[in-house]
Amino acid sequence: MFGIPDPYIWIAYLLAIGFAGLCVLYGLLNWNNGDA
Amino acid sequence: MAVDVLTLSIVVAIYLLLIVGIGYYGYKKTKVAEDYMVAGRNTHPVVIALSYGATFISTSAIVGFGGVAANLGMGLIWLTVLNIGVGIFIAFVFFGKKIRETGKRLSAYTFPDLMGKCYNSPFLQYISGIIIILSMPIYTAAILIGGARFIEVTLSIPYETALLGFALIVGAYVVFGGLIAVMHTDALQGAIMLIGMTALLLLTYIHLGGVVAANTALTNMAHLVPEGLAAAGHTGWTSMPTFGSPIWMTLITTMVLGVGIGVLAQPQLIVRFMTAKDDKSLHRATLIGGPFILMMTGVAFTVGALTNVYFYQQSGQIAVTAAGGNIDSIIPLFITQSMPDVFVIIFMLTLLCAAMSTLSSLYHTMGTALACDVWGRGRECALSLTANKRGIMIMMVISILVAFLLPGSIIARATVIFMGLCASAFLPAFVNGITSKSPCVIGAKASLLAGAFVWFIWTVFVHAAESSVLGLSQFIFGVPSILSQPWSACNPLVIALPVSLIVMVLFQIRHNRRMA
Repeated sequence: MFGIPDPYIWIAYLLAIGFAGLCVLYGLLNWNNGDA
Repeated sequence: MAVDVLTLSIVVAIYLLLIVGIGYYGYKKTKVAEDYMVAGRNTHPVVIALSYGATFISTSAIVGFGGVAANLGMGLIWLTVLNIGVGIFIAFVFFGKKIRETGKRLSAYTFPDLMGKCYNSPFLQYISGIIIILSMPIYTAAILIGGARFIEVTLSIPYETALLGFALIVGAYVVFGGLIAVMHTDALQGAIMLIGMTALLLLTYIHLGGVVAANTALTNMAHLVPEGLAAAGHTGWTSMPTFGSPIWMTLITTMVLGVGIGVLAQPQLIVRFMTAKDDKSLHRATLIGGPFILMMTGVAFTVGALTNVYFYQQSGQIAVTAAGGNIDSIIPLFITQSMPDVFVIIFMLTLLCAAMSTLSSLYHTMGTALACDVWGRGRECALSLTANKRGIMIMMVISILVAFLLPGSIIARATVIFMGLCASAFLPAFVNGITSKSPCVIGAKASLLAGAFVWFIWTVFVHAAESSVLGLSQFIFGVPSILSQPWSACNPLVIALPVSLIVMVLFQIRHNRRMA
C-alpha cells in the first residue's frame, strides 16, 4: 500500500492517522460537554 | 549553511521579541501562586493543546529520533501510534479529566503535591520532588546541549555563549512570567513547529516525486542495508526488523514502549491538565493534540526514513553514511542540502521552538518541585512567588552546570533513562491515586520503591546499552551484562513497570478487603 509492502508498517500508519482522527472526533462530539 | 547568518539572525531576533512580549504578558497576569504554578486553572483549550504538544516534542524528537528512523526505518512509526493513542487520547480523555478534577478538589499545585495529597502522604510528595530534582537536571542538560549545538552551528556563535544565552533567555521568561508565560510562549512555538513540519512533509514528497514513488524507491533500497545492521535484524527501511532480533528489541522496548508509555508519567506534562478550567477545555484540546503530534513525530519519522532516497539519488550513499556516521546530523544535513533557503530558516526556527518549549517547562517543574515540594514543603514559602522564582533560578544554574560538566554522549542516554525511571516509579501509584476511592498509601510507597529498585538493577546489570557504559556489572561479575540476548536488549521499563504495577494492585486489593 502506497509503495510500502510490509503490512506492519502501513497498519501503523493507518492506526496513527486513525487515532488522530479519533481525537478530532472526540473533541467535536464533546465540544460543549463538561462545563465548569 | 545555505542561508546567510544575518537573515537568520534578524528572523530569530523578531521571534525573540515576540517571546519577550508574551513573557511580559505572563508577568502582568500573574498575581498569586495559583497563577504562577497552574496558570490560574483557566487556560484556553488551544493553548493547553499546543503547550502540551510543544513540551512533549523536543529537538531530540525531531532531529534525534528522525535520525533513528533514517537508520532503522519506518518501523519507528509505531511510536507515533503510541504518542497519539496513549500520549494524547488516553492521557487527555481518561487521565486528564481525573487529574484536573483531583488537582482542583485537593488544591494541588504541582505533580508531587498532587501525589502527596491523593494519598495524604507528605513522604510521597517529598520523594516525588526528590526524584524530579535529582533526575530532571540531566534531561534538562540534554535539551540545553542539543539547543546550544544547533544555535552554535546556525548562528555561528561559540558553544559556551550559545548555551548560556539559550539557558538565560528561556530562564528569564519562566522566572518572571510563571506558567502563564510558559504555556503561551509554548503555544506560539507549537504553531511555528506545526507550520515547519507540515512544510517539511510536503516538500520532501514533492522533491522525491510523490508518495508512492518515494516509498517504492525506499523499498527498493533494502539491499543497501549495512551488513552489521542486517545481521542484527534490519530488513529494509519500509519493513519491520526481524521479530525478536536485537534491533527489534531496541525499537520496540526502548523506542516505542519506553518513550510511548513513559510520557504518561512526565511531571511537566501532567501539570498541563491542572491548568484547565473544566472538562470542556480538555475535550476541545484533544481535537488539536492528536493531529499536532501526528504532524510532529509522524512527519519526523517518515521524512527521516526517506532521507535515504535523497542521499542515494544525490551521492549513491545511504543517509547515515552521507552524514559521516552521526545519525543526529542526518535531518539538519538533509534540510540544508535539499530545501529552499526560506524553508531552511523556517525549519531552524522550528527546532529553536522545540528546544525552548521543552526547556521552559522543565525549568518550571524543577523549580516548583524544589520550592514547593522539598525545601518549602509544609511551610508558608511553599506557595510564595519569591521562593518559587528562586527555586527556578537555582535549578536553572544546576542544569547549566550539568550541561557543562557531562559529555553529550552520556546525556543522550540519560534522556531515555529519565523517561523510564519516571514511568517505572510514578505511573502505577499515580494512576491509582487519582482513580481509587480509597488509595492505599503503603502500596503506593512500595510500588514507587519497587519500580525504582527493579529499574535500577536492570539498568546497571542487564540492559547492555547502559550497563556496559556504567561498568558496575563488568566490575562485579566480569561481564557487561549478566543476561544474554534478548534480555540484554530489553529496556528496563518493560520489566520494572509491570513489577511496580503488580505491587500496587496487590496492596490495593488487600487494602480494599480490609476497608470492606
